[in-house]
Amino acid sequence: MATERLVVVGGDAAGMSAAAQAKRLRPDLEIIVFERSPHISYSA
Amino acid sequence: MQTGRVWWEPYDQLLLATGALPVCPALPGADIVETCGINTLQSGIELQRLLDEGGAKKGIIVGGGYIGLEMAEALVRRGMEVALIARSPEVMGTLDEDMGHLVSQALRDSGVTLFLGETLTGFETRGGKVTGAVTDKRSLPADIVILGLGVRPSTSLAAAAGIPLGEKGAIRVNERMQTGIDGVWAAGDCAESFHLISRRPFYIALGTVANRQGRVAGINLGGGYATFPGVVGTAITKVCQVEVARTGLQEKELKKLGVEWLSAVIKSRTKAGYFPGAGEITVKVLAERGSGRLLGGQIVGMEGSAKRIDTLATALHAGFTVEEIINLDLGYAPPFSPVWDPVVTAARRAAKLI
Repeated sequence: MATERLVVVGGDAAGMSAAAQAKRLRPDLEIIVFERSPHISYSA
Repeated sequence: MQTGRVWWEPYDQLLLATGALPVCPALPGADIVETCGINTLQSGIELQRLLDEGGAKKGIIVGGGYIGLEMAEALVRRGMEVALIARSPEVMGTLDEDMGHLVSQALRDSGVTLFLGETLTGFETRGGKVTGAVTDKRSLPADIVILGLGVRPSTSLAAAAGIPLGEKGAIRVNERMQTGIDGVWAAGDCAESFHLISRRPFYIALGTVANRQGRVAGINLGGGYATFPGVVGTAITKVCQVEVARTGLQEKELKKLGVEWLSAVIKSRTKAGYFPGAGEITVKVLAERGSGRLLGGQIVGMEGSAKRIDTLATALHAGFTVEEIINLDLGYAPPFSPVWDPVVTAARRAAKLI
């Protein structure tokens, strides 16, 4: 059973808002977020 | 974090939320300017450490936009001697010059020395350290130089993948935040927006927009359906005591679009005039000639000024005329507002000119 994968490049306002929203609607969605800096989503 | 490790990460759907990068000038010495733009939490932390450890006394800010103003305030609050260089005749280029002038004055009142209408031509350096900034008119010594020259969308990854770019090189997206490539989405500072007043593609790098675009992309990626209609260009900031706000189109944008407009500027108070703590507020309203449709608004004033822009932003979304704004049933009590809200007073003045 293949889980669908969402890859997000960038873990700040847009990336994390989207990841959180998608996960809420589809808990089975596998989500991977890449972020260059040591911090994520400090304003989302 | 840079590990240098390279690997493949397969996806069914891909969201590009790569943000924006600060504009760095190709000038001699720019490669050793410690703080080429403050656009991430990390760059702010690094700047703070640099200031704490270096004991910097003289700071130069280059750029009179949001970053420049906020950095000027931060350095003033640290007790530093601050100079600000900007190419435009007034700071805050997203306001018309008459309103920007009020912000320039507020900066001077806070102790910032302004060098307006001057262009940065390079940096003075000694032993791999910046010791000053050079403009077309003078050279200024400094312990630290901070650049706030704006941002550009970070789209090298998208461009390399052949994803179509649009306004200012931002990733072109439809209302659901889908790019021109199947299965690839984009949101935030790397993505294009749409201006609801000019009805044209628009690029604006703001956290508010990024959150809303991200939400829309996430709903669609989670199997729902959502659209992002666009923006009206609302933004607020503050510099020391003075709050600054803008929404809609400003005069130079209207001129470019060929729109004819009328404008009204009024001065009022943030609370009832007799109420303790009432401060000055200046409101400018721009409306279309003939129809009276609201096109934009700008506010500069003391505490309690900036968020009043939300009334005008909502009126823009609704397509109100200035006449319609006059009859809005807004909240009033002496601690909050004069009996006519300053925004409505400005609309009344504008309505007389239509």
